[in-house]
Amino acid sequence: MTARYHHALGPAVLAAGLAFGPGAAAGPDDDTLRAAMAGEILNLDYLYTTRREYIILAKMTDARLFTMNPETQEVEPSVALSYEFVDDMTIDVELRDDVQFHDGTPLTAADVAYTYNWIIDEGSESHAQSLISRWLDRAEVTGDHSVRFHLRAINPLIIRDMAQRVPLRKDGTYHQGEAPDFDAMATDLVGVGPYRVASFTPGVELVLERFDDYFGTPSEIGNIVVRNIPDMGTQQAEIMAGGINWMFNVPLDVAQNVGMRPDIDHLAGPDLRVSFIVLDAAGIVEEDGPLTDLRVRRAMNHAINRDEIAEFLMGGGASEGIHTACHPVQFGCLQDVMRYEYDPERARDLLAEAGYPDGFDLDLWAYRERPKAEAVMSDLEAIGININLRYVQLETLNQARAAQEIPAYIGTWGSSGVADTALIARVHFSDTSDRHLSGDAEVVEWVMNAEETADQDAREEYYRNVITRIAEEAYWVPLVSYSANYLVTSDLEFPLDNDGVPRLQNARWR
Amino acid sequence: MLNYIAQRAALAIAVAITVSLAAFVLLNIATDPAYAIAGEDADPEVVEQIRQRFGLDRPVWVRYGEWLLGVLRGDFGVSYYWNRPVASLVAERVGTTLTLAFSALFVTIAIAIPLGAMAALNRNTWIDRFALWVAVSAQAIPNFWLGLILIILLAVIYPIFPVSGDQTWRHFVLPAFVLGASSVPPVMRLMRTGLIEVMGSDYIRTARSKGFRGRTLLTRHALRNALLPVVSVLAVQLGHKVGGSVITESVFAINGLGRLALQSILGADIPTVQILIFIFALVFVAMNLLADILNAALDPRIRIG
Repeated sequence: MTARYHHALGPAVLAAGLAFGPGAAAGPDDDTLRAAMAGEILNLDYLYTTRREYIILAKMTDARLFTMNPETQEVEPSVALSYEFVDDMTIDVELRDDVQFHDGTPLTAADVAYTYNWIIDEGSESHAQSLISRWLDRAEVTGDHSVRFHLRAINPLIIRDMAQRVPLRKDGTYHQGEAPDFDAMATDLVGVGPYRVASFTPGVELVLERFDDYFGTPSEIGNIVVRNIPDMGTQQAEIMAGGINWMFNVPLDVAQNVGMRPDIDHLAGPDLRVSFIVLDAAGIVEEDGPLTDLRVRRAMNHAINRDEIAEFLMGGGASEGIHTACHPVQFGCLQDVMRYEYDPERARDLLAEAGYPDGFDLDLWAYRERPKAEAVMSDLEAIGININLRYVQLETLNQARAAQEIPAYIGTWGSSGVADTALIARVHFSDTSDRHLSGDAEVVEWVMNAEETADQDAREEYYRNVITRIAEEAYWVPLVSYSANYLVTSDLEFPLDNDGVPRLQNARWR
Repeated sequence: MLNYIAQRAALAIAVAITVSLAAFVLLNIATDPAYAIAGEDADPEVVEQIRQRFGLDRPVWVRYGEWLLGVLRGDFGVSYYWNRPVASLVAERVGTTLTLAFSALFVTIAIAIPLGAMAALNRNTWIDRFALWVAVSAQAIPNFWLGLILIILLAVIYPIFPVSGDQTWRHFVLPAFVLGASSVPPVMRLMRTGLIEVMGSDYIRTARSKGFRGRTLLTRHALRNALLPVVSVLAVQLGHKVGGSVITESVFAINGLGRLALQSILGADIPTVQILIFIFALVFVAMNLLADILNAALDPRIRIG
């Protein structure tokens, strides 16, 4: 369309737009923040969900006994005023007396005890069960606003778990009928968080309104509407048209392009998710295969240009190349370990020393960020390794890994936004995990030891051993940390936190 | 006729069952619903818990048999992903998809029939060339691209219509156009060909000799016969609109069966995918049957059975 026609058409179409145009744009006029999420919101009960979208929502609708300060990663009071270890196996928790559920019911110790006891009940099938039942034996009401937790094991992450994994439910929530109802809070959530659910259509739209009787600092924005918009292009169009104020998980190129508009800001913050290649060092998939040779694994570590992948493919200012099997800001993720700088020549020499001067064939599996996978493939092929990139859906990769068919895969882990190495170590280095391909029993023992002591110095030492060993033996090829890219309208002030978890409840209008 | 309809109905059910079996096996080979439900960073224990809760640890043939028996009893099962009865999921969305499908069909008819008629009546003129250009363009442009371009033009640059959603009639205008445009080429070309053929036939020549001209000749004598093949194609196209709106509904965030199908496939929600495939297969067969019946009704020379 030429400029002449464009100008001629413009006024007519704009007039039609005024006549038939869409409703009010998202924003401060109606005090409603409209956010878009690609992943469907199907269940509001964080006791029965795990995905990132649900973590974000649970921060708004629920409160927990404690809260993590995202800047300092220190535990701070929330519904609980304080806690005290009576002995190694008993914790007393004092509750606030001014906490109300969204339906106006005051929160008491009975609600807290019910929630925790329900989670560890084998019949609850809560997604938090495996985590909490590692350490909790039972919760006991000791007063109107005091609860005693009897532990079954010492665990360094108890208070952290209380602060991050367990939203509080009213006494009897899941036992209104003859049989327990796991979906009691799935759509009609009654929490104690800063926002209450006004309406919810699963997979379509969630409307939240500020809860005026919230016990903590009230949020500034009155209403938050979360819409499920599966297509990123449509989300992009919505924010450009003023239909939404906020979108996340935005691909870097889209964020940079759209962020150039004067009415939209591109925000890039850190994210605890890291990416890495797991190598079959133990020869589980191929006995005596090339990856069982330390020199080959080190060669692969030298072959990858992490910094360029971080800068040009992940980007956003917060992504960086990593050298450890954990995120550098996580507790226990010490950085004084062996580093493999980008050095293709050294990598080729190591391969030759290992008896592979002409390289070898390798199936490398991956399931997200294809450009990153192809960059890794290209770097490895540059030193002579002939990569067969198996780019598949996550479920397919999981099935193949469980069947021990994967010699090497590009994995990622977000640690549920928890800045502690425990969250990545146990899943990847335990005897029961199909992700564990190192075969190093000592690493497994250190990881378990670190979870069985509350002594933080001892934990740090165990993790030092773990991280150092993984680096020296090159069990993994650590790649990059992630950057969280957001697009927000310029009238919205959206603070970014170090743990990479978006907190819409902290947003405000400019 | 009744015998014919019964045969076709039996065929429809056979097709639907075959397709559902293929879909069930393929989905079980390609995906693991437990992982899809649990999410990327779920603990293996949580994944195992989900697998047991939904009975996914049992053999595929046992689960397919259970599902099929349930369907025969009218129980469509419970969605793994949405954790709700599949029947209610489908019931909530079918109205939206039908609204979109009929709107799209209206768009197709509104564009293709006049365009085809004008092309036929003005053969080898610029009107004919223009009609051909429209047909080729509509055939060549992918739905998702046309959808995004229309969004940018008519929702972002000139905000006449909403970008996405399905709350008001305005929300359906752009998606109906996108979905309807894809059916314009076959309908327009059939209309053009049919009308050219009819206009050259003996009875039209006779009508002309009796003094019929212009609109009367066209509407009272030519169109009825020219529309015969078009009607059957429109019926089949309606089937395409119901079952083929996956991309359009996703681009415009319309909460219909197409979007539900995409969500269910990505979420490895086998019970929902099964029912949707079953429904889509039935709709296609039913629309073909409807096309045959309509043809017979419109043309006394055609008899079925």
